[in-house]
Amino acid sequence: MVIQENMSLQRKLEILSDAAKYDVACTSSGVDRKGSQGSMGNSVACGICHSFSADGRCISLLKILFTNECIFDCKYCINRSSNDIVRASFTPQEVCELTMEFYKRNYIEGLFLSSGILVSPNYTMELILETIRLLREVHRFNGYIHCKAIPGADPVLIETLGWYTDRMSVNLELPTAESLKELAPHKNRKNILKPIRQIQLRREHNKEFIGITDNTVSSPKMITGREDNDIKEIVTTKTSLVPYQKPVGINRRYVPAGQSTQIIIGATKETDYQIMSVSQALYDNFDLKRVFYSAFMNINQDNRLPATTQGPPLLREHRLYQADWLLRFYGFHTNELLDEKNPNFNVLLDPKCDWALRHLDLFPVEVNKADYYTLLRVPGIGTNSARRIIMARKSAVLDFKDLKRLGIVLKRAVYFITCNGRTMYPIKIDENFITRQLLSIKDRLPFGIDKDITYQQLSLFDDVNFQINPSQAMKIANI
Amino acid sequence: MSTIKIFLCENSIDGIFTAVYVAWSSGYGHSNVKIEEECEDHSYSNMELFSDYITVKTDYDLAMKVSRSIKNKISEEVYQIVCRVALSNHIGKADLIYRFLIRGFQIGSGIMEHLSEEVVSTVFKINRYVSYEAHHFLGFVRFSKQESGLLTSVIHPKNNVLSLISSHFADRLSNEKFVIYDENRKTASVHIPGRPWFIVQISDYNVNLFEDISCEEDEYQDLWKTFFDSIAIKERTNPKLQRNNLPLRFRGDMTEFKP
Repeated sequence: MVIQENMSLQRKLEILSDAAKYDVACTSSGVDRKGSQGSMGNSVACGICHSFSADGRCISLLKILFTNECIFDCKYCINRSSNDIVRASFTPQEVCELTMEFYKRNYIEGLFLSSGILVSPNYTMELILETIRLLREVHRFNGYIHCKAIPGADPVLIETLGWYTDRMSVNLELPTAESLKELAPHKNRKNILKPIRQIQLRREHNKEFIGITDNTVSSPKMITGREDNDIKEIVTTKTSLVPYQKPVGINRRYVPAGQSTQIIIGATKETDYQIMSVSQALYDNFDLKRVFYSAFMNINQDNRLPATTQGPPLLREHRLYQADWLLRFYGFHTNELLDEKNPNFNVLLDPKCDWALRHLDLFPVEVNKADYYTLLRVPGIGTNSARRIIMARKSAVLDFKDLKRLGIVLKRAVYFITCNGRTMYPIKIDENFITRQLLSIKDRLPFGIDKDITYQQLSLFDDVNFQINPSQAMKIANI
Repeated sequence: MSTIKIFLCENSIDGIFTAVYVAWSSGYGHSNVKIEEECEDHSYSNMELFSDYITVKTDYDLAMKVSRSIKNKISEEVYQIVCRVALSNHIGKADLIYRFLIRGFQIGSGIMEHLSEEVVSTVFKINRYVSYEAHHFLGFVRFSKQESGLLTSVIHPKNNVLSLISSHFADRLSNEKFVIYDENRKTASVHIPGRPWFIVQISDYNVNLFEDISCEEDEYQDLWKTFFDSIAIKERTNPKLQRNNLPLRFRGDMTEFKP
């Protein structure tokens, strides 16, 4: 291991932001906090994007690793110990200086601090804690801080850190314990879930203590979908709270913006159904705010991992995010979208269209009568549209012209709704007919994913673990 | 046939509110009056035949009366929406506000639920458009630090969002002196620690002052550019998505896009 002395701050920033770029979470949302005299910064609940990098992703936080030295050797990670790359570490002072000066110029919304494992999880966690403490107490930084909890670190360190940060996250990395064992031999799934549980319990305790009530319940929910023994075990084990470590002079809630996690997809053979079941279990049992999905890239050219010569599986990632939204905001459950027989998402249709086509008996829906959650199940109607419909129909009976005026996109919805008992034009409620119509509408894929996709050449979909299942292929062939 | 009376007013919240008051109380009847705001280049749109033009001088007391009525008889929320519409670059916004308020005073606080009405949905759309732009600028404003410690920023917004974004920065940077300059409208908001922020008109004479502002400042600009480049994932390069999220028009004032 070569440690370069006297590396310039610019060079360090270059290395340590480059090493942090694979972490997806860059949101600054979830907490509203006013500024205060004598400190710098505030926070806005909806989050603010400050820039967008060349890959089109939002830059909201100064996303850096504290160090890219690491004693772990996870196969998929650029910073694994067996890689021969330039290593660098910040000092706590340097991180504070960068954060404060960037923040002052309105480049960023706050700090996202992650790290490789230097010496040991505890040693690393202490360095991170020192940095964050310095930033909050000495520099009086009142902006957003997102911090990684290092799995395996002493619970007391995690407990203390939580009082200084807005969001904490522990990356689940891979959906199942087997994959994790295979690709990240130093990591252990239970060790990852434990700090998530610890933070969740303290958050709930803290909310109860200051009298904020919401619907979160820490008792285990029924775990449906695929059995997940690790989650079950962690949730059902009676764990006592870690001793209260609230630092003196800190007047804030415990991890007010909640927790998130990240799953790499396409590196191992899990199906979409397995991945979504894990997400569902995490949302249900750990009160996570977000699960992020990261399309796998074989950056290490490791022969034990799938090659990604056609680029990362972005379409699959996109479908997972669409489904994730359905879970969080649309009242869907994983089991409605996928099952053992149909374990992967349809490549041609988004998950909601796909679901609607399999449930044509529930349609068409009458716009003037249907409740919010029924409206949300109509392809093409999102949370904003549904809310607007409900608002507007209080004062008028809506017809299709009104819907257009409300800004509701009828391209997809038109096959699934009626206004005053009429469809916009005569429509046959027939699966093949509607499928054909929906396929002719170009799926609004994020810019760039669409560039290689022509709907005629199905061979292009030989993505990693991404096959059209026979029944879908048949359906397409029949059209 | 009676001639239409067209009330000409200043392009500001107070100007529009004054004209609303004057036109309303003129007694000509809603269908016989129109309000027209001054364009941003200080001209008015084409004159119409068979109409009388009446110039309204901005009167803060009358404007206050209108805003008080909106807050009391409709709602605080609708008042904010109307203000944002008044700050937009929508041509004909003054008359739109007039038509909207007629319905607003009839219906009351539930006016925004009447989305199927043309006036309401137009107001709704403009409000959203202005709010989005203001929100964009919360993130896209870039300050340069002058030697004196003053933070300066130049922006070119489509709508007059300066007053909508300044309180955010005053709250966030409560210990900093800063100036945000809207070059399109030659106005600037100024914040000095411990005092409320305010907006000033910059006369042409003073504009030279702001040429110094955009100067290449310090090492942190370079550090930021370094970060900006290295945080992107090469394999996912996607200029279309980037352009969609961050339109080119913002980039001229942003540090990371300057050479």
